[in-house]
Amino acid sequence: MTDDGTPALTLEAVGVRYPDGTEALDGVTLHLAAGEFTAVVGPSGCGKSTLLRLAAGLLKPTAGTVARASDRLGFVFQDPTLLPWRSVRRNVELSGELTGVPARERRARAEDALRRVGLSHVADALPGTLSGGMRMRVSLARTLTGRPELMLFDEPFGSVDEITRARLGDDLQELFAADGFAGLLVTHSVAEAVYLSQRVVVMADRPGRVVGEVAVPLPYPRLPEVRFSPAFTALTSQVTALLQGGTADRIEVAA
Amino acid sequence: MTRVLTRQTWRLAPPAIVAAIVLAVWYFGSYVLIDADRRFLLPAPHEVVKVGFGDPANLAELLAALRLSAEVALTGLICAALLGLALAVLMSQARWVERSLYPYAVALQTVPILALVPLFGFWFGFGFSSRVLTCVLIALFPIVANSLFGLRSVDPALHDLFTLHRAGRLTRLVKLQLPAALPAILTGLRISAGAAVIGAIVGDFFFQQGEPGLGQLIYVYPRRLQSEMLFAAVFLASAFGVAVFWLFGVLARRATAWHSSQQRRPYPGAPR
Repeated sequence: MTDDGTPALTLEAVGVRYPDGTEALDGVTLHLAAGEFTAVVGPSGCGKSTLLRLAAGLLKPTAGTVARASDRLGFVFQDPTLLPWRSVRRNVELSGELTGVPARERRARAEDALRRVGLSHVADALPGTLSGGMRMRVSLARTLTGRPELMLFDEPFGSVDEITRARLGDDLQELFAADGFAGLLVTHSVAEAVYLSQRVVVMADRPGRVVGEVAVPLPYPRLPEVRFSPAFTALTSQVTALLQGGTADRIEVAA
Repeated sequence: MTRVLTRQTWRLAPPAIVAAIVLAVWYFGSYVLIDADRRFLLPAPHEVVKVGFGDPANLAELLAALRLSAEVALTGLICAALLGLALAVLMSQARWVERSLYPYAVALQTVPILALVPLFGFWFGFGFSSRVLTCVLIALFPIVANSLFGLRSVDPALHDLFTLHRAGRLTRLVKLQLPAALPAILTGLRISAGAAVIGAIVGDFFFQQGEPGLGQLIYVYPRRLQSEMLFAAVFLASAFGVAVFWLFGVLARRATAWHSSQQRRPYPGAPR
């Protein structure tokens, strides 16, 4: 963890314009402190995923600058993105394999990561035989083996059911508490954003831009009951109000 | 045990019934529809078996021809597989390579290759190599097309994953694209295997020279009015084709057990 005050991630007046003239993002500035967990919410097509791809370096901005404090970057995709022909263990080892971590070391890291997400017992199974929630956990474990200082989440729990989603959220919170990475979570669920993060950044579309942010002062660890507290409700209302100030006809406010 | 037997029966009964019907129609044609002096047009099934497979000299002739055709088909298939996969990998690496080569791969598929057979004989003689060449040209396109499709159809998110880890072209090809494309490559190989068998037999049929394969026998027998032998040769050629197709089917299932199309359904009647 870099605690020298350098932000883990800095986006400075970033813009993305596609060759056909579409403005995906316009003048987005976002600073993510080391060890800070921030969520980004916004309607579909507001450029949330584009923002994340910029942060990961998968996309170059057409305006502004993107800077990361560390190369130890973890990216959790919308889908588990596992290689179906590899066992769970070999999938978790892939990250180290691609970055040249010695075999013994990456095996140890994979064991450790699988233990942390509670999947040691299925290490030799093929991903196709696991449930959606388990596959997502394998994906998380693979990311953890890189010992990331910055974690980017692209609507990571969008493809699993409501109950699994809540559980994965709690798992994520635990990992965050233990590892202290900086996290940027893109989601379309206001409740999930408030529940997991210390700050919610609200975006609007056409062009994709930041319209405001809400600090979430609730202490960690957050227990599921916190969702029913007046403070939580007040925060989700604030976020929702900001979203409605954008384009009210295209908001998705998930429960 | 009984349940397994019942299931086997259910699986085998319908095709067995069809076979019985075909045999019955065959016998009916042979003994009722055709006069005794014209029976050579459709010899009865047991006559075909007796003359073609019962007579040691005849059987030896057929098996020697089958062996030659099989060697041609197999050599042609291996060459086509290696060449086809190499071309597909090249095309998958850069759009300009694909744009340069793919039209010719398509052309290869549409040109009537059998029309070129006499030309091959003219250039390379009527031996093994020009027969193999015929097979390669017939079997190449399915491998190129299927492999390229497979290499290109990798989930973009998986490509992103490899990009995030700064994976190079070779790593991406070996660890991601080739394994992901394996089901498509094997489908291509299966289609090509069938095509290679046809190429071996039909090429041989056209060559009319050199050591006889099944194709030449199929050409010669009717001219000698050896209709039982003709039927036996046709049967052997078909059986050979079916066997090769089946073999590659089994191979494909074994090699791609991880693929969703091969996974057992969680409960009977579950959607695939």
